[in-house]
Amino acid sequence: MPTFPIFFNVLSVAFTASLVFIDSAAAQPRFDYHSIRGRQPLLMATKRCEGETDFELRGKSRAQDMRNFGALWSGDAHLLWDGVVGESLQTSFEVDAAGVYDLVLQLTIAPDYGILDVMLDGTDVCQSIDTYNAQVGLAPLLTISDVSLAVGRQAITFKLTGSNVQAQKFQASNYLMGLDYLELKRKDNSLLVAPVADISGSLADSDAFPQQALKGAPLSTDELTATMKQFCFRCHGGEATEAKLDLSLFGTRETLLTRIEDTQRIRDAVARREMPPKDERQPPDAVRARMLATVDAVISDYLKDHRSHSPVVMRRLNRYEYSNAVRDLLQLRGDVYPLPEKTIRVDNLYFDPASGRFPNAVRVSNRTMGKEQIEEKILTSVSPFAIDLQADGGFNNRGNQLSVSPILLESFLTLGRSIVDSPEFDAYCKITDSFFTSPQDATLEQQQILARMRLLPFLELAFRSPVEEAVLNRYHGYFSQCLTKTNSFSQSMKDVVAGVLASPRFIYISESAFEDGDVPLNAYELATRLSFFLWSSLPDEILLAAARDGSLLKPDVLDLQTRRMLEDPRSQALAQNFARQWLRLDQLVTAVPDIERFPQYYSRIGCEQWGFGLQMMVEPLLLFESMMVEDRSVMLLIDSNYTYRSDELQAWYGADLPFADRENRNRFNTERQQFSKRLLTDRRQGGVLTAAATLTMTSSPLRTSPIARGAWVATVIFNQPPPPPPDVIPPIEADDKVIEAQGLTLRERLKQHQVNASCVACHAKIDPLGFALENFDAIGRWRDHYSSGLEIDATGELFGSMPFQNVVELKDQLLAHPELFLRAFSEHMLSYAIARKLELEDAPAVDEILSKVSTDHGQFSTVIRSIVQSHPFQN
Amino acid sequence: MKSLQLSRRTVLRGVGATLALPLLDIMSPSCCRAGSSSQAGVTPPRRAAFFYIPNGVVQSAWNPVDTGETFTLSPTLQPLETVREHVLVLSNIGRVKTPGTDGHAQASTCWLSTAAPDELSPDGYPLKRTIDQVIADHTGHETAFRSLELSCNPYADNRESIYFDNISWYGGSHVARSLRDPQQVFNRLFRVEQHISSRSVLDLVMQDARSLNPRLGQRDREKLEEYTQAVRTVEQQIERVQQRQDDIRQLNPQTPVKPWQAMHRDEFIQVMGDLMILALQTDLTRVATLMTAPERWSSPLKVEGWFERPIEHHSLTHGQANDGVRNDLAKLDRFHLEQFVHLVQKMAAVPEGEGSLLDNTMFMLGSGLSSGELHECTNLPTLIAGRAAGRLKTGQHVRYPTGTPIANLWVTLANIMGIKQDRFGDSTGPLQEIEAA
Repeated sequence: MPTFPIFFNVLSVAFTASLVFIDSAAAQPRFDYHSIRGRQPLLMATKRCEGETDFELRGKSRAQDMRNFGALWSGDAHLLWDGVVGESLQTSFEVDAAGVYDLVLQLTIAPDYGILDVMLDGTDVCQSIDTYNAQVGLAPLLTISDVSLAVGRQAITFKLTGSNVQAQKFQASNYLMGLDYLELKRKDNSLLVAPVADISGSLADSDAFPQQALKGAPLSTDELTATMKQFCFRCHGGEATEAKLDLSLFGTRETLLTRIEDTQRIRDAVARREMPPKDERQPPDAVRARMLATVDAVISDYLKDHRSHSPVVMRRLNRYEYSNAVRDLLQLRGDVYPLPEKTIRVDNLYFDPASGRFPNAVRVSNRTMGKEQIEEKILTSVSPFAIDLQADGGFNNRGNQLSVSPILLESFLTLGRSIVDSPEFDAYCKITDSFFTSPQDATLEQQQILARMRLLPFLELAFRSPVEEAVLNRYHGYFSQCLTKTNSFSQSMKDVVAGVLASPRFIYISESAFEDGDVPLNAYELATRLSFFLWSSLPDEILLAAARDGSLLKPDVLDLQTRRMLEDPRSQALAQNFARQWLRLDQLVTAVPDIERFPQYYSRIGCEQWGFGLQMMVEPLLLFESMMVEDRSVMLLIDSNYTYRSDELQAWYGADLPFADRENRNRFNTERQQFSKRLLTDRRQGGVLTAAATLTMTSSPLRTSPIARGAWVATVIFNQPPPPPPDVIPPIEADDKVIEAQGLTLRERLKQHQVNASCVACHAKIDPLGFALENFDAIGRWRDHYSSGLEIDATGELFGSMPFQNVVELKDQLLAHPELFLRAFSEHMLSYAIARKLELEDAPAVDEILSKVSTDHGQFSTVIRSIVQSHPFQN
Repeated sequence: MKSLQLSRRTVLRGVGATLALPLLDIMSPSCCRAGSSSQAGVTPPRRAAFFYIPNGVVQSAWNPVDTGETFTLSPTLQPLETVREHVLVLSNIGRVKTPGTDGHAQASTCWLSTAAPDELSPDGYPLKRTIDQVIADHTGHETAFRSLELSCNPYADNRESIYFDNISWYGGSHVARSLRDPQQVFNRLFRVEQHISSRSVLDLVMQDARSLNPRLGQRDREKLEEYTQAVRTVEQQIERVQQRQDDIRQLNPQTPVKPWQAMHRDEFIQVMGDLMILALQTDLTRVATLMTAPERWSSPLKVEGWFERPIEHHSLTHGQANDGVRNDLAKLDRFHLEQFVHLVQKMAAVPEGEGSLLDNTMFMLGSGLSSGELHECTNLPTLIAGRAAGRLKTGQHVRYPTGTPIANLWVTLANIMGIKQDRFGDSTGPLQEIEAA
């Protein structure tokens, strides 16, 4: 069956229609998307007991607000107690399930804090913990391993046993103790084999979801032709074929069916009230509804006959995936080579989705825009191949754009070799002993046997498939050759690994063994698709085991694995790889606000290498990560009441920018710094739309670029990328000062610039989305007026029916019509998950996903789980 | 396979600041070394190289008004003055734009395409094996590397897709991706051990590929063919590099001292150009493409010494109705032309046989758009430097009838390179007037 190269924006069968005809829902009380949070703990069931709230407050113990001392404390507070040496605090916390736990204790340190023992049920578990420190801060984490706990309140005692010689006394005789939190990490969980409820039963039946608010009877052939003649032919009929569309050819059901892509375009334009254009005669709503009903009937018939999908082309790993895959296969301690794609760089692991909590503060630097990109060296003489570029309106994982050329093959050959041969390799690799080393006294024959035993599971993981005898023999034969030559077990194993890393079985993801077309993936293929979706890497042993016994093909096991993998820190790949590409964040790298107009953007003039973008870029990524870890609603990406910022970035959003006047050198921090959670009350801030990063990267050096901003919003937020610009583009001044000197605002100037009806029609869709953001200047700072004093007009209308006066009202409209963004986000994520462009045939699957996601108010894990459950993902 | 012999005379002057190349001398094939007596009379090989400038040019400043040998250099072409006897200027050569794909993406992707306007690739481009690869099919078995693809793409973001970033293609959806990092180019050309160490696993992965093949569907089998092709190419490459390893080791050039990210625009282009010339001169390859920058990519860029502020080439092209903008744009065109001329001069300074490397090369400058303003492709800027061993009549400006397909030029180049083919895509025959009688 033919496949249709079509734009994403055709995939909107059910929901945009309902938007059009429902009056703005703004009057109804808005759902609070911030109430969506958290998941049922699954794997490393971790529970955090806050000192200030989850412990019994006895005697002198009390909660202390710690915000005066920085943003380090969980919940911004801790439990405070004081006593004389010898006294104890006896308190307790709740254990939800009996089992073996690791307890992780976070204490506070300060100048007047004492030395403590900790006891559980009267038994010492930690002794002589010195909590003295010259400055107030957090103590290193203490772990008490393998404690058996029963359900119910568990008693815990903190005994003051002494004091550091340097410690000051509190109130002349006492010393203090501060408990930020205690974490219970369950060790003996057997959840992975326990059955879980089938979530699909609890979701709303997709058929029950409202399809259209206003139904009309379909038009007859004659009626349809007459209607189009009346309202459309002036521009799209016979002679006039604006947008290459001649509607006089579309009179009958058959013609609508054979030109299904155009039919879909027509449908969307009518449904979104883009057509007829505003200044043309409009059909009455009833006629519009009947027209839609006609077209919808045709499309729905078409989809009934075309449920199958174009197969995903076999593809090679991209650079990001290759690094992750090698890291996980060889159990390396970190990346294979520096990856500027991984923007956020930290010292400590902070991304811990199993905890369900994102820290209030993280110390990070920016790898993409910072110094470290150039300076970072990991393994000597290992260098990456070139970055893979994103497909137009898509991601960098599409097979048709990931070729293998001789140069790339050379890279794979050299890479594999240079990794295992690098001088740091043995220390960097955690399987040096268990895989690459043989017992000293092993005979040659024993080494042969050992290699074969080790290669079997290794090849299964590397190739994500059962290991055929012939394949094992091939690699084992190669090992034997090398062993004969080098007489070194370790070197020969390395030689084999260098070969594995260049093998087509490793570097290609092939999902259509034996046949093309719409066939279910087998268990190994499904495992591979799942792990590259969630981790951008190979499956792990647990997932592979579910593939091996075929259980992964059962919906409940698949869902359980999905949830487990989301709770693994490797799921950070979704933020690093998906979010960065979805938001097109790398465009910030090359943003160059004019250095004289916006000197505050540069850390020093004359050496403008470091732009403030390096701080901006981190903000939307941390928002995304926190949303993932805490399993919140993706609607937070539209409107969030919190965000993560450095102090300097926080100031960037304010009226005064303290560092703007700082001397011409290191004006702001370009290195590692703390990003803390900031609660937002000003709704002009929050989400990704109004993030300084977005606003800066969609501006030109001397002014904002509402068209670029509008195109960004249309593409990223609505997944409706505008068509490519026409060949004739009238010029527009690069500097808003020059425009304003003529007494014109940029908006008025751009209006003049639209010389004919086709310009107007297209820009009517793009520009208002950009002008809604016009109160933010070219570096993302708020302004009430243009610098010349001219008024800013940020008003507009969304899809012809949702008016807004300013950016806050735009956000309100998006919150009132969540399906708009939820659909777009799901489509982007699905396209990323299956590594191909979506087609018309995917529309029913997207509808099903959207139905589930809407029911759960956009909860992140629901997006992921319903994509994994969808037909395109499993076929 | 020819052997190299080296002596100590200078070739690449004035570049060493960034790429510390040895003051080496002639490293040309022994058959055509100056004064070589052993194989006197053997013709030096012909080479073809392509220099791409993105986003078209300011037409009014580019087009010479008159034709023939005495034509007047237009403002943009002024830098040609010193080399005009070596250069052909061609006007009114163009290609037919195909609707459905972006004009800029089509410009880079389809500039060298041998497809007719209606022969579309799966992604909708009129794209088939590009002429450089067609030539490499013919010349590649003589040299260590069948072809060389280089790009001076300076952008650290990934704003555009592969179609804006590549001019060389093995086929409609099989890109010959270029190398951007001079250090990697250098390693590939001169680090012999890098190639040899890869040799041992080639058989292994090839067997793996073969055994995988029967398990695949038709589409994936085609995809895997890319891999097996690459293995075969690399196999031959390693074999030939091994044959030449003594020569290459003896060259012992020093590696580039600056990372490309720190290079100025002119340094970057010249260093890449030097590497290209070195590879042509030493007969490591006979075909090369060099992109000075990718198409569109609307990110500002510094051009040190030419513009005070970062400029956005693509945006400028749409503002050229304005005099100031047009002047800036013409200045950028001149910058690119100067870079080209420097490389032409360097080639002319490499002695080879009775003449120079340039004399045995066709070094072509072009763009996939005539002007970025309206995305036209009717009069593509086209220059050829070098006489291709006396086959081309340089030192003149030829204006063709409007609508002359650029495929006619590909036919001419292919014929000169020894490929007997009289048609590519929509060609109507070889170009008249440029071949020496």
